[in-house]
Amino acid sequence: MAGGAWPASAQSRAETLRYVTGATINTLDTTMPGATREAFGLSMNVYDRLFSFGRKKVGDNWAFDPDTIRGELAKSYSISPDSKVITITLRPDATWHDGTPVTAEDVKWSLDRHVTAKSLAAPQFTTGSLTNASQFKIVDPQTVTVTLDKPDRLALANLCVCYAIMINSKLAKKHATADDPWAMEWMKTNTAASGAYIIDSHKPGESTVLRRNEKWVGGAGGALPSFKRIIIQTVPEPATRANLIERGDADLAIDLAASDLPTIEKSAKSKVVSIPQTNGFTHISMNTQMAPFDNLKVRQAVAMALPYEDMFKAAIFSRGTKLYGGTWATVPPDASFPQAIPNKTDLAKAKALLAEAGHPNGFSTTFAFTAGQTATAEPMAALVKESLGKIGIQVEIQKKPDAEFNTLESEKKMPLFTDGATAWLPYTYYFFYLYFTRDQRWNFASFKSKKMEDLTLDARYQTDKAKYEEGCKQMIELFNAETPLIMLWQPNHDAVMAKSVDGYTYQFYRQADFRDLKRV
Amino acid sequence: MLAGILRRVGRRLLASIPALFGVVVVTFVLMRVLPGDPAVFFSSGPSAGKEEIEELRRSMGLDRPIPVQLVRYLGEVATGNLGRSMTTGQPVVVDMTRRLPASLELTCTALFIALLFSIPLGVAAALRPGTAIDHIVRMLCTLGVCVPTFVSGLLLIYAFYYLLGWAPDPTGRIDIFASAPPDITGFFLIDFALKGDWEGWWAAFSQLLLPACTMALFVLAPLARMTRASMLAVLGSDFIRTAHAMGLSRLRIIVAYALRNALLPVLTITGIVFSTMLGANVLVEKVFSWPGVASYALDALLASDYAPVQAFVLLMAMIFVMVNVTIDVLYGIADPRVSVA
Repeated sequence: MAGGAWPASAQSRAETLRYVTGATINTLDTTMPGATREAFGLSMNVYDRLFSFGRKKVGDNWAFDPDTIRGELAKSYSISPDSKVITITLRPDATWHDGTPVTAEDVKWSLDRHVTAKSLAAPQFTTGSLTNASQFKIVDPQTVTVTLDKPDRLALANLCVCYAIMINSKLAKKHATADDPWAMEWMKTNTAASGAYIIDSHKPGESTVLRRNEKWVGGAGGALPSFKRIIIQTVPEPATRANLIERGDADLAIDLAASDLPTIEKSAKSKVVSIPQTNGFTHISMNTQMAPFDNLKVRQAVAMALPYEDMFKAAIFSRGTKLYGGTWATVPPDASFPQAIPNKTDLAKAKALLAEAGHPNGFSTTFAFTAGQTATAEPMAALVKESLGKIGIQVEIQKKPDAEFNTLESEKKMPLFTDGATAWLPYTYYFFYLYFTRDQRWNFASFKSKKMEDLTLDARYQTDKAKYEEGCKQMIELFNAETPLIMLWQPNHDAVMAKSVDGYTYQFYRQADFRDLKRV
Repeated sequence: MLAGILRRVGRRLLASIPALFGVVVVTFVLMRVLPGDPAVFFSSGPSAGKEEIEELRRSMGLDRPIPVQLVRYLGEVATGNLGRSMTTGQPVVVDMTRRLPASLELTCTALFIALLFSIPLGVAAALRPGTAIDHIVRMLCTLGVCVPTFVSGLLLIYAFYYLLGWAPDPTGRIDIFASAPPDITGFFLIDFALKGDWEGWWAAFSQLLLPACTMALFVLAPLARMTRASMLAVLGSDFIRTAHAMGLSRLRIIVAYALRNALLPVLTITGIVFSTMLGANVLVEKVFSWPGVASYALDALLASDYAPVQAFVLLMAMIFVMVNVTIDVLYGIADPRVSVA
């Protein structure tokens, strides 16, 4: 049993972090279509990017900070006065896991791959106007330039995201074939990285073991991560994960059932770190292209009929930040987003609006959610049904398997549904660009507005900060006036860990970053 | 006799090929009829647009008409290629060869434990029908079959791991900090024994005990009830009366004459129970993080990941065929009259 193996290696147990998760790492190359969120988390710890977001204190805890960008493989960078050329100087002492030095050639090959190969990196990179291999030039073995057609405000931030991995090109090229010039097949199960951790063993669906890269130079201030060994273990049952943490056998879990959290908060060996998901929102979407929700008054009526407070308590036990009940009327107080929208429950007014819209007796519709979110969405659905029933809207609740829900969402076939979203790049303009423009999957409400398209396009290349913020405020104003979807809240990210573990940071990709953790 | 057995086995295996073919085709079509598009599900990245979904669909071969996909799939199955799992990112064959021994080891141990308890219980109940013993056995069986495996599993974990701390943490086949045995058969107990690493063997065994007991509890009922019914029938028959009349010892009558004859229907039901357990132990595998084939298939099903589900159904069908053939052979050994036919 466990007792036999431990005492001799008590030291190494303290230096080992055992992380239990319900999900599976299905690829070692995050840019592959189909990569799971768990795979993103692993990639951040194993691969370096050119840049990385900093972190800031939110209350007592840490969260990533999209407004500070520091070099990871880059030692320094400069941006030309017209904001079109980014010159990147690499760390001279950086090496790949196989010991060979990191060169500008590797960086150029990696960037070329991200914009050329058929991976998920390419569409992501277009949001930063990085679309063509000719934009990346080698100046000398330590220097690369990135040239933009227009001063895109998200170019640098895009080099921080999960997809923007830097690859050991000499190693990868050895495994490239004529059909697969970017070694995509090989990289699914092998790494060519320079990051903080090296993969010792990888059994998908069971466990992945990492060891610290003692030569890593990409850390903030050049510091090595504290844990020498990381064990990532798939434990599908949330109750078992909770037991493991409570008993002190596992050190960290981030996807426990909300009902287990109060017990853990009281336990002697473990603690809960709750951080608002600053880049996310839970919403109820209405299909703006489908009757009756194509009528603004119907959407406003729904927004006024929802029992926000009850939903906030029943669905997430008040563990989050409210995005309703804002105190402004038409013009938002600042340019930040998501922020509290001035929605509140007013059944009389909702009924009046519905009558104005030509539905004095209401109508029938369906309210869908995915089985994966049952714990929060089911109580919410019951409240929605009850409350909308009061103004005459008959709601049939539909709980769908994840794959089916995603398909319906992508094909825009659901009239009314709830879902969550998180943006990797939490800038106001990017939220509106991603979630409220174009005919694409993440435009949940199928919102079509020429004004919104124009505003986001202008904000994207706007170099004047005041003008940018003014544009963002107009987007929020337009969003509030049109009510394509109803903002509910930002749920907390609840990380559960042993009392001895410290430094947990909420990251934009909602996974544990082992590099920040230490045992105290 | 051996030649006869072999001939029968061969005939049975040949006869099963159309059934297997049917299973492959039906599963294949069924998966594609189910709502849910794997291309959409797996291209859920923050920037996955229409083109990315199309590209993924093309790379998965799902852009072609279903008959074309089917022919291609059948060709691949014939050459032993079962496709690639999107959930784990590995070829399905690799996943299956690693996970099937885990499931088999768990199921066999559970079945062994179940038989160890159910046959004596069934015999005891049959010897004293209507008495307190009979009622206690009936109650035990009812309890075992009524409590769902995830409830009994969680209860066992709560008692033996969480409260008492006797059992190791219920995560997988071996303590995560210990090293796994060399990969010889894939059965940890056998591999550790072959290596002579008894400390490792004990570690693997203690990890196996709780999930195996959970499963055994669940199948106790059919086995014990069947033993009891069949024992009762046999005990009432003429040859037992004759044996009594000839003054044979009671133990000899019960074990050598009654039980041997009563075991035939138990054997049949054991075969069925075994096949069902292998597929239905998904909840036990989930609760104990057991890296088996059933939880693997369930994950794949929820994700509309076609290849693993199809492979799983095919595998189960094949195991079902094999188990039935084995039972047939055992039947012949237990009752020589069968093999004459």
